[in-house]
Amino acid sequence: MTKTASDLSGLALQPRSRRWRDLLREPVASICMLFIVFQLVCIVGALLFPEAFRYLSPQNVSLLQRAIPVIGVVALGVGLLMITGEYDLSVGSVYTLAGYSMAMLYTAGVSPVVALVLTLLIGIVIGIVNGIITVKTGIPSFIATMGSMLLVRGLVRWLSEMGSVSFRPGEAFASLFTGSVFGVEAAFIWFIVLALAAAVFLHRSKIGNHMYLVGGNERTARAVGIATDRVKIVAFALSGMAAAIAGVLSITRVGTATPAQGLGMELRAIAVCVIGGLFLSGGRGTVLGIVVGACILYMVEDVLLLLRAPGFYLDVFVGAILVIAVIANTALARRSAK
Amino acid sequence: MNAVATPLLELKGISKSYGHIEALTQADFDIRPNEVVGLLGDNGAGKSTLVKIMSGVEFPTSGKIFRDGKPATIRSRKDSERLGIETIYQDSALVGSASIMRNFFAGRELTKGPGLLDMQAMNAIVMDQLLNTVKIAGIDSPDILVETLSGGQRQAVAIARAVYFKTAMLLLDEPTSALSVRETDKLLAHLGELKADGVSAVFITHNLYHAYESCDRFVILSRGRVIRSLTREETTVRELNDIIVKN
Repeated sequence: MTKTASDLSGLALQPRSRRWRDLLREPVASICMLFIVFQLVCIVGALLFPEAFRYLSPQNVSLLQRAIPVIGVVALGVGLLMITGEYDLSVGSVYTLAGYSMAMLYTAGVSPVVALVLTLLIGIVIGIVNGIITVKTGIPSFIATMGSMLLVRGLVRWLSEMGSVSFRPGEAFASLFTGSVFGVEAAFIWFIVLALAAAVFLHRSKIGNHMYLVGGNERTARAVGIATDRVKIVAFALSGMAAAIAGVLSITRVGTATPAQGLGMELRAIAVCVIGGLFLSGGRGTVLGIVVGACILYMVEDVLLLLRAPGFYLDVFVGAILVIAVIANTALARRSAK
Repeated sequence: MNAVATPLLELKGISKSYGHIEALTQADFDIRPNEVVGLLGDNGAGKSTLVKIMSGVEFPTSGKIFRDGKPATIRSRKDSERLGIETIYQDSALVGSASIMRNFFAGRELTKGPGLLDMQAMNAIVMDQLLNTVKIAGIDSPDILVETLSGGQRQAVAIARAVYFKTAMLLLDEPTSALSVRETDKLLAHLGELKADGVSAVFITHNLYHAYESCDRFVILSRGRVIRSLTREETTVRELNDIIVKN
């Protein structure tokens, strides 16, 4: 019995130190530290050279708050899907289509709220189709969604040839997505709300748990009785919906839909997720990582622009950060697996 | 206990073919309450197919299944779970990148309110089971990822799970193949304890010594057919070996 007692006291003492150590081993911890350090350097720099480096200027702060949510919301959907072990390359096209859908429905006399609901439904349906094709035919989602990416992009081109479309809803609807509360942009608030919802869904719900298990080892997940196909289709649907939400956020701000808007967005969303500590192989990652990943990606671009770096530096830096992040995350995961 | 108790699970005339390859031909198999049966045979004899049929991963081409004498169908993992059958695979049926707790309750999560996980309750149950059922050392948190555990610890987690979910019968498919000698010893000891608690087990292994040590009865398959069924008293390791090699 003495042994049990010592076991229990060990149990009571260990968690705190252990929790800290485990926390630091999480890929998301290193990316958060990088984010904080980077943020501090930028703030100090901006305070020291307020004229040369306008990082803290109201215009820049507001720009960041409006730019981050668009890619951030897309990345939430893509990341959730990535955790179940699949990809969605169609998000950029769905994002653009969502802008067209909002503008055209509104122009046709549909109320903005109904247009919003229909647009989200379009995103969900495209996601479900992607999911069904991937799951039922057993082909890689990379290929299935590349197909729908091209198909939807073609549809957008066709729509765009019918003339330019604009979306200028009433004040009430517009302020829902473009207003601000105490200096915080509405779009950013939406991003945080959606991120919190995604966090509860992924980390605390039953189906969220199934997503990690399916992504971690699909065969085992099926063996313990999880409906792996259904879980994946739900993830595809959410990815499509997230892309549509991002499209709505964007069109409400910009007001005009153009066919080139979402180009390259699918890869940027994957980059955000990977920087945030998600694994291409699935089964790992956190919502916090996706949020921080989106912030870092945009901060880097923003800082380079503020420093008046030539445009090509943007891609070089984003590429470098991406590769460094993956190397760091893989090394951390390998160390903790020992 | 009456010796002629109805079998816990009985399979009659089970055949399974993949295309024109017959993995099982008219196989009969039964297991009684509180019995550990060793399923023996060389590679390709049909042992794994039989286990897959009992666990619901595969569905037989023909044949009947009875649970406690009543006809039953096992079409999925859910069905076998309902009948109290739990499988522990070679890789112990755990997801490496997920925590112990999330594996323990995989597919059977406890929830509260609108489908949210009851983390606190599940964490407490996992720790209680690990400390008190399988008495495993070195695991101090339910959040540890399974990939960081040793093979023996993984098996222990899988067994603790089976015990917690009131399994009537365990299917162990080559459970010792990835274990160290010491861990194997522990697993065999667990099997004995489970039997004392009234849990039956089907034990697939290539190691006849392990089988002989822990099983009450041996069923030997060869080329998809059940060729012998012997109790431990009737046979020896050498005889079992000869039967497998010569068929």
